[in-house]
Amino acid sequence: MNAIEVRSLTKTYPGGVEAVKGVDFDVATGEVFGLLGPNGAGKSTTVGMLTTTVEPTSGSARLGGHDVAEEPLAARRLSSVVFQEAVVDRSLSGRRNLEIHASLWGVDRREAQEQIGELAETVGVGELLDRAVATYSGGERRRLELARALVSRPRVLFLDEPTVGLDPRIRAELLDVIGALREQSELTVLLTTHYLDEAERLCDRVAIIHAGRIVALDAPSTLRASLGRELIELHVDGDVDAALAALQLRGVAGDDAFSLGSRLTVPLHGHDSREAIEVIHELRLPGGISAREPTLDDVYLRLTGDSLATAA
Amino acid sequence: MSTLDIALRTTSPRARRLSPLVTLAQRRFQLTARTPRELVVPLLTPIMFAAVIAPALMTALHTATSYEAFVAVGTVGLLIPLNTMFSGLSVIVDRESGAQRELLTAPIPRSSLVLGNLVVALATTSLQLAVLIAVALARGIHFHTTAGGVLWFVGAAGLFAVGMYGVAEILAARVPKQEEYIARVPAIAIVPWFLAGALFPITALPTFLSWVAKFLPLSHALALMRYGLLQDSSGLHNIWGMSGPTTMAALSLGLVGGFAVLLSIAATRVFTRSATS
Repeated sequence: MNAIEVRSLTKTYPGGVEAVKGVDFDVATGEVFGLLGPNGAGKSTTVGMLTTTVEPTSGSARLGGHDVAEEPLAARRLSSVVFQEAVVDRSLSGRRNLEIHASLWGVDRREAQEQIGELAETVGVGELLDRAVATYSGGERRRLELARALVSRPRVLFLDEPTVGLDPRIRAELLDVIGALREQSELTVLLTTHYLDEAERLCDRVAIIHAGRIVALDAPSTLRASLGRELIELHVDGDVDAALAALQLRGVAGDDAFSLGSRLTVPLHGHDSREAIEVIHELRLPGGISAREPTLDDVYLRLTGDSLATAA
Repeated sequence: MSTLDIALRTTSPRARRLSPLVTLAQRRFQLTARTPRELVVPLLTPIMFAAVIAPALMTALHTATSYEAFVAVGTVGLLIPLNTMFSGLSVIVDRESGAQRELLTAPIPRSSLVLGNLVVALATTSLQLAVLIAVALARGIHFHTTAGGVLWFVGAAGLFAVGMYGVAEILAARVPKQEEYIARVPAIAIVPWFLAGALFPITALPTFLSWVAKFLPLSHALALMRYGLLQDSSGLHNIWGMSGPTTMAALSLGLVGGFAVLLSIAATRVFTRSATS
């Protein structure tokens, strides 16, 4: 059975804002699944509907076989969330925050104490547990929230932009902790992010979401492979469309070449990059040239006409 | 079998139902205890009335000793709305910078979040009432009451507090910012107090306002509390115009009870709807 099943899910907010426009996806048990897209793409609204804090306008979603609209308590019992922003009782201690979660999720008290101790050590907040959360740094608080989400041993863990606002070192450390969760084969993780490296590193499969719709869904490597093994990027000083047309005429660029501003990206699909660069020189196209492997940002750009790095 | 399954199978259904409520109430107690202003600020005005203003009025206007007792009960009618409205403020704090979103994803009915807050609002109100009455007794005010009278008082105060907490939850759900919430508290907590016979009988009001006062739950609650603590049924008579005090008290208690039930149901619905966008 899939841990998460989403069918034609839509959300239109009052005022007519269509945040999610009919998304479909399944997440297998034990899979780490990413929703990748810029702010406003509909990622958090989708997570909101799956965690029953946002009411779907139409469509359905199931967690562990439980319809989130029909059986919200059963669906919530199986899941936990780490939110984008800090959602903690700051004046209470870290331990108390964890105890409250454990109690509300029905974890036996003795079992909860053992879990809290273990998890706090695992995420690196063991020595902070008895301090008020108000004294924690942003990274420490996020680690605590991760421990809190795990204390009830959820079958499905939602991580909504878990590293937003963290400095690079703390972000890297937190990614290590999240990466280690993959070893728990029973835990299904749905991660939303607009960071490409997070999606690449953590996710088995990624759904690229743009303006409320899923525009691509596959393993990160497969999505990248759709652009071949290598591509050429030109920063054109002049008419980008004319440069693209010239490259297509010479057979270097295919239909999947795309541009953003002065940047022209040409997937090579087996063409030799040196030959392609020679053609560019022959055409006397002004600007800089570089050859590199495709990234998920290239895939996103190709599909949406926008760069994820800039859109986010 | 998961930890959760084991926990669910080894706990009785009743304990399982109550456990989240206990946890939520404990949490709210702990948060309240860490912000003493929530306990102290609502207490200041009523104690000022009981300890300073009522004696000053008595001296200036040469009112009888019984007037101090009359006003002492009247200040209860200020303390309850003030305290419950301040309790509602914590709902906004929870939503803005607390753990409300986490609690909304918990596998518990969302009405239990309102109930957990209500339990604590009632407890802090009880504590403050006890302090207020202790201050009044320390000032030499005599309450002529019986065990039955205390029950009338507790029933009226408790049900009125439940209803007012419902008002607070509804306002907190409707108002986005603490500042806006605080700006509306005087209109809800203080204006009715001037009309409800707290400082003088409602018959002293102009005819139109005295009719308005008869429909205020606070008027009924104050009349009941005075009937209970002072064995004075004149407030009930001013509302109902009947001769049997017990009947009038029962009618007023029914009205205050209805206020409590209606506002509690409305508060739960409004909170649940506002919590789900």
